[in-house]
Amino acid sequence: MRLRFIWQILPAFFFIILLTLVLLTWLFSRALSNFYLEETSADLEARARLVATQIADLFHSDHIEQLDALSIRLGEDTATRFTFILPSGLVLADSLEQPSRMENHARRPEVVTALSGDIGHAMRYSNTVHKNMMYVAVPLMDQGTLLGVVRAALPATTIDRTLDRVYQQIIISGILVLLLSVFVGTLISRRISRPLEQMRYGAEQFARGDLSRQLRVEGVEEIASLATAMNSMAAELNEKLKTVVRQHNEQKAVLASMVEGVLAVDTSERIIRINRAAAALLGVSAEEVQGRSIQEAIRKADLQRFVSRALSTRDPVEGDIILHGNEDLYLQAHGSLLRGESGQELGALIVLNDVTRLRRLENVRRDFVANVSHELKTPITAIKGFVETLQEGAIQDPGSAVQFLDIMMRQADRLNEIIDDLLILARVEQDSDQGELPLENRQLNTVIETAIQVCANMAAEKQLTIEHYCPSGLKAYVNAPLLEQALVNLLTNAIKYSPEQGKVLIEAIHSEKDMTISVRDWGCGIDKVHLPRLFERFYRADKARSRKLGGTGLGLAIVKHIAQAHGGQVTVTSTPGHGSIFSLRIPADPEKIAEIVPGSMEQPSSLSTKED
Amino acid sequence: MPVYLQRQIDELKKQILALSAVVEENFHEAIHSLEETDVDLAQAVIRQDGRVNEMEVDLEEECLKILALHQPVAIDLRFIVSVLKINNDLERISDIAANIAQRTIGLAAFKPAHIPFALFDMAAKVEIMLKKCLDALVNMDSKLAREVCHLDDEVDTMHKDNYDLVKNQIRQYPEQLDALIEYLSVSRHLERVADLSTNIAEDVIYMIDGEIIRHTL
Repeated sequence: MRLRFIWQILPAFFFIILLTLVLLTWLFSRALSNFYLEETSADLEARARLVATQIADLFHSDHIEQLDALSIRLGEDTATRFTFILPSGLVLADSLEQPSRMENHARRPEVVTALSGDIGHAMRYSNTVHKNMMYVAVPLMDQGTLLGVVRAALPATTIDRTLDRVYQQIIISGILVLLLSVFVGTLISRRISRPLEQMRYGAEQFARGDLSRQLRVEGVEEIASLATAMNSMAAELNEKLKTVVRQHNEQKAVLASMVEGVLAVDTSERIIRINRAAAALLGVSAEEVQGRSIQEAIRKADLQRFVSRALSTRDPVEGDIILHGNEDLYLQAHGSLLRGESGQELGALIVLNDVTRLRRLENVRRDFVANVSHELKTPITAIKGFVETLQEGAIQDPGSAVQFLDIMMRQADRLNEIIDDLLILARVEQDSDQGELPLENRQLNTVIETAIQVCANMAAEKQLTIEHYCPSGLKAYVNAPLLEQALVNLLTNAIKYSPEQGKVLIEAIHSEKDMTISVRDWGCGIDKVHLPRLFERFYRADKARSRKLGGTGLGLAIVKHIAQAHGGQVTVTSTPGHGSIFSLRIPADPEKIAEIVPGSMEQPSSLSTKED
Repeated sequence: MPVYLQRQIDELKKQILALSAVVEENFHEAIHSLEETDVDLAQAVIRQDGRVNEMEVDLEEECLKILALHQPVAIDLRFIVSVLKINNDLERISDIAANIAQRTIGLAAFKPAHIPFALFDMAAKVEIMLKKCLDALVNMDSKLAREVCHLDDEVDTMHKDNYDLVKNQIRQYPEQLDALIEYLSVSRHLERVADLSTNIAEDVIYMIDGEIIRHTL
């Protein structure tokens, strides 16, 4: 852990001051106590000398009474203990004790010194008064002869107390100084560290992205210049960041608005980026899959394989990807390695193109070419065949010749039918392309009835009933001959695929926006597989059966084009074994037709009216 | 070392998810081939099954390698054990897809018969189950996995009913016998796929919650 600034400064402060104080106190108290002890012993010596001069005359064992009284009086007056000792060590008098009870003092260190003519000092425990005492013994001389020793003593407690008081004062003032120094130290370190704290807070704000805040420039020179430097750094960063964000947004927008799906993965196959088009194609949400591995995010085996192929080869790769689902999607994919500035591999970039529609159109075109040649070729081959047979001699046989001519006639009719239908188709297409289709406000009922009349014979042959429901007075803007043609085509189909003695229902329903005329049969129905392609030219759901039943293969294509020419569309629902419903929907408002028609011819329309 | 283990487990997860994508598509294709009687597609499904078998072996070896090298515990161990089991189930599903493709090829030779039961509805249900259990695996979603376990009952009932429906149809049109038998076996295959999907869902629950719910539902 790092120490705070204050904890760096304060202990050092504290320690230095404490050391100084202790050292000073120690030196000073030693000097003081020495001085005081010397003072005291000098004082005691002076007292002893004074007393000595006073009692020199009386100093004899004869005046014990007087000496004793004097010692007690002097002792009380000066708060000092006086002891008078003979050179033999015998105590003559004492301020605090009966001399008779005291032992011989000749061996006391201070007395020994005094007896030898010097001044004796001692500091020791007194057996007499049971205290630590300070002793000063002075020899009492009278014209060169030693009369005895005068000893003055003070209890050490008195000295100690005095010294203690001095120590106490020193310690108290020491503590005060210490406290003061701590206070001052704190104050100083605060003053230094507060701007630093603020700068730290500011820097944290910067780190969090709040670059607009400015640090206050204050405090000492160094810190103020640091704040200024940081402020200019923040401003610089802010500017750079804005540029980066703007560029990022631009790139994102470019990527997002691309029609092609773009997918970027890193070397461990995690999705770095995916644009809107790719997410839509793959049926995932761009936010959810970001950062997840491709295996986790998109469960499409083809795509996963393509990604690992793109990552493992140096050169750009190309491939087709089929996404299976309710409707298969065909994608054309291009993949190339993503390289960083220094050429290291960052991952791979995959670009996806939806070619489903192209594929479907290709299929339609291929089938169309095959079908049209087949449809046109069959009658011609038949006619040619019979002509050849006739040429080779069959013409001589009137019976078969007539039969052959009949067949040739039928085939020629068929060819004629196909060409008629193609012409109708071409006309409808051309008219609606140029917007020249004349529309009139007509009774729908009449149109429907005319169509039924056209088909009446055919129905009668199969003993079918055609029911029709149409609200009377229902009017719509239609081109009557064309709509009739469409309804006839639908009815013919319905009759063809209905069982004998069945029924066909045709009804018109109108809503606010559009009219729907639906033709329903209870025939064999159409397999789901064929529904999307049913309205293509020459498309046959069941090739064998529908040829047998006749028809050019163009009927439904014509219906679709007529519906589109009216700005509407045709849809089919069917259940195999239960029959089909074809619904022709046209808008009620003719104004809208003009808007819808051109578009509807070019755009891929809903499920059932796919391109042809 | 744990970082290394984690990387290997991530790699393992990628492998099992890649396998699941292939198997799901293979099953889808098999159903599609049956729907359109597309023999080419059926043959592609059978070929793809061979690839799935290879992937299965690779995955199993990877699992065993991790077990031997790292001796993982707790969640890691559960993960690897579940992957081993799911791996097995996926391979079985792919086998069944190949079997269904075989049925397509078989059926192509017969006259088309009317299927007496809603085969493709049943197939769609099973596909949803498979999709859900794989989604549960991808997102580690034990709630979704539990849903799959409940869907299995519906498919089981459908399969049981199919027996009677097929029997009736056979009595009515004995000449369609061959095709109808094929359809019945497709129904059984679908029921097996539903069971295997349930197994996968149960393994996912075990992986996430550490709870073994087999035989309790």
